[in-house]
Amino acid sequence: MKEATTSKIAWGWLALAAVFLVYPLVFQSAFFRDIGVLLLLAAISASAWNIVGGYAGQVSVGHGMFFGVGAYVPLMVFTHLGWPPLLGVPIAIVVVLVLSVIVGMPTFRLQGHYFSMATLAVAELIRLLVGTWDFAGAAIGLSGPAIPRGWWDLTFTSELPYYYIFLGVLATLLLVTWQVQRSRFGYYMRAVKAGERAAKSLGVPVRRTKLFALMLSAAFTSIAGSLYAIKTGFVDPESGFGILVSVQMLIIAALGGAGTLIGPLIGAIILIPLQTATNTWFGGGGSGLTYILYGGIIVLLARFEPGGLVELWNTYAPRRWRSGSHAP
Amino acid sequence: MRKSSFVLAALLGASLVGASVAQAADAVKIGILFPLTGNAAAAGQAAKAAVEVATDIVNNDHPELSDIPLAKGAGLPGLGGAKIELVSVDHQGNPSVAQQQTLRLITQEKVQALVGAYQSSCALTATAVAERYGIPFVVGDSVAGNITGRGFKWTFRVTPLAADFGDAYMSFIADARKAGKQIRSIAIINENTDYGTSVAEAIEGAAKKANIPVAARIPYSASSTDVSAQVLQLKDKQPDLVIFISYTADAILYMKTMKSLDYTPPMVLGDDSGFSDPSFIPAVKDIAQGAMNRSAWDIGKPGSTSYKINEMYKAKTGHDLDDTSGRDLQAFLTLAEAINRAGSTEPAKIQAALKATDLKPNQLMMGYRGVKFDGTGQNILASTYLIQLKGDSYELVWPFDRTQNKLEWPMKGWR
Repeated sequence: MKEATTSKIAWGWLALAAVFLVYPLVFQSAFFRDIGVLLLLAAISASAWNIVGGYAGQVSVGHGMFFGVGAYVPLMVFTHLGWPPLLGVPIAIVVVLVLSVIVGMPTFRLQGHYFSMATLAVAELIRLLVGTWDFAGAAIGLSGPAIPRGWWDLTFTSELPYYYIFLGVLATLLLVTWQVQRSRFGYYMRAVKAGERAAKSLGVPVRRTKLFALMLSAAFTSIAGSLYAIKTGFVDPESGFGILVSVQMLIIAALGGAGTLIGPLIGAIILIPLQTATNTWFGGGGSGLTYILYGGIIVLLARFEPGGLVELWNTYAPRRWRSGSHAP
Repeated sequence: MRKSSFVLAALLGASLVGASVAQAADAVKIGILFPLTGNAAAAGQAAKAAVEVATDIVNNDHPELSDIPLAKGAGLPGLGGAKIELVSVDHQGNPSVAQQQTLRLITQEKVQALVGAYQSSCALTATAVAERYGIPFVVGDSVAGNITGRGFKWTFRVTPLAADFGDAYMSFIADARKAGKQIRSIAIINENTDYGTSVAEAIEGAAKKANIPVAARIPYSASSTDVSAQVLQLKDKQPDLVIFISYTADAILYMKTMKSLDYTPPMVLGDDSGFSDPSFIPAVKDIAQGAMNRSAWDIGKPGSTSYKINEMYKAKTGHDLDDTSGRDLQAFLTLAEAINRAGSTEPAKIQAALKATDLKPNQLMMGYRGVKFDGTGQNILASTYLIQLKGDSYELVWPFDRTQNKLEWPMKGWR
């Protein structure tokens, strides 16, 4: 029975992968490919958040700080040194790892809401500081290469290369997460989430677990930020470090199901097309209906299904399709 | 699980329905991008209304506005009377959404030209998409210097930018000195986000070039609830002209704080924005008499073209046209005139017509010296007026040769 379930899950993932692989070939319009790219980007950031926010249960509302660093550094090396933005990606990861240690050491002494508040405050602080820092373009922001000097600038006319690059990153991230959740470290994270005191009494190195989870999560969030900046070709304090950046990661992961492998992806698959569709249909009139619909769905979910859609699936799907309490 | 993937595919597909709208027979489709929700929603909505007034001027017969190209007669005569059809989108002030919606306007809606986008950040990303697809983008009101000058061939900007404002203020100071006003030094007070920072830097640079001492440059946060420290700093430095680059609430707060600290500089000059907001005059008209403001928009005397356009706008929105929306209206009319001259909806022909644009001051509703684009797409004839608060409205006071109104110097303030 157990094996039958596993193979069904594997088939499900394969089918999903196939859908993603052929999507841009089926939908050739640049706009639909762009939605695909944004969906993948949202899935990457939410999945990255999910490592520390979902599996380890440390609800960070300040992941924008990692996203922002990831977005700024590539454009900074381009603006000040003339390097291709791509070279900034590893530098950003190093910066973010250091940042996550600096932020994690003191804030992980806090629990629950206090941790969330602390991360939120740090992210806002960084946003304000960057907004007055001339080297980072201050409040005006930084631009990428307007006209590509070569393929290495990753400034493409077509959305297609972005799509497959983003898809590759998402696949890597999900593979890493899958490996991590099956490892000893994965069990540590879930133990911490279930109860820090209990975990500690069983010999789980709580603070180290939380810190490693944050570092891993931050590194991938930084990559998401870099991808965003390279694709958009522009970042300012609001689009890099803004609170909406942090909140979107959280909402997407929570919508799909935080602490599950597929949850953030499902959240992105639902929320990004929804955002785009509501803005496309109702945005032009300027009535703000976009946000009303968007907010309404979130309220409904929070009220009736706080565990996310994965939980809903596990409750109502026919038994033979269910994947167990911890969906892969 | 397999079934769920089909559901996912269906969900992805669901978003395509909104895209295809049938195209009217020979209408010219123009996409407009503004922030209709979010922080700048009010400005975006006003800009959208202004562009709608511009469309009305072009599409319907308005013989009373005879100086304005295309006002007379309905539609675009160069295209057999074709009408302009607007496709409006909301970019929410988000650069990424601006990019995405521009893509949609071009690839799904098949617009032939674009106008936008208020926030400079959104203009930067939106023009990059238009450049990739070779669709003309006319920037109406975004002033960041680097929107033009990136080597783009499809971006045209009608509005004056930060550097132009700096130069305008310096020529005003030179003119005022010639007229016997004493201006030994100036002070610059700016809110510290992109707008305030870029304009303040431009003014500081222009002052340095013109050899005018800057006694103080004071950045502050527009959400401050107390600005007495900044006002005391001014009081200490005693500049003869204080230039404010402020949003609305903070501009009002400064005027009130200056009164409570019993300080009036010889002259206060607002850089549009807060000083042009409809709520500014009612809030401070008793304490800020004689304050000056930048505007390329002057409603003018009853019967004048600008007055009639303002009446049209007022009938639609219930308030007067402001400078920012006026610049969008002018940008849109400039684009329409070029499309008409191109006699075609082919992007390359519109681009060529835009490059050849040469509008004279009397053909404009804004106070520019004309519209003519340089190689980067920037309007080299963009300029601005200075206006002064007298009673409960602003009056045009500079350039001196454009008006009969007398500049009152020093300002009265509350006295």
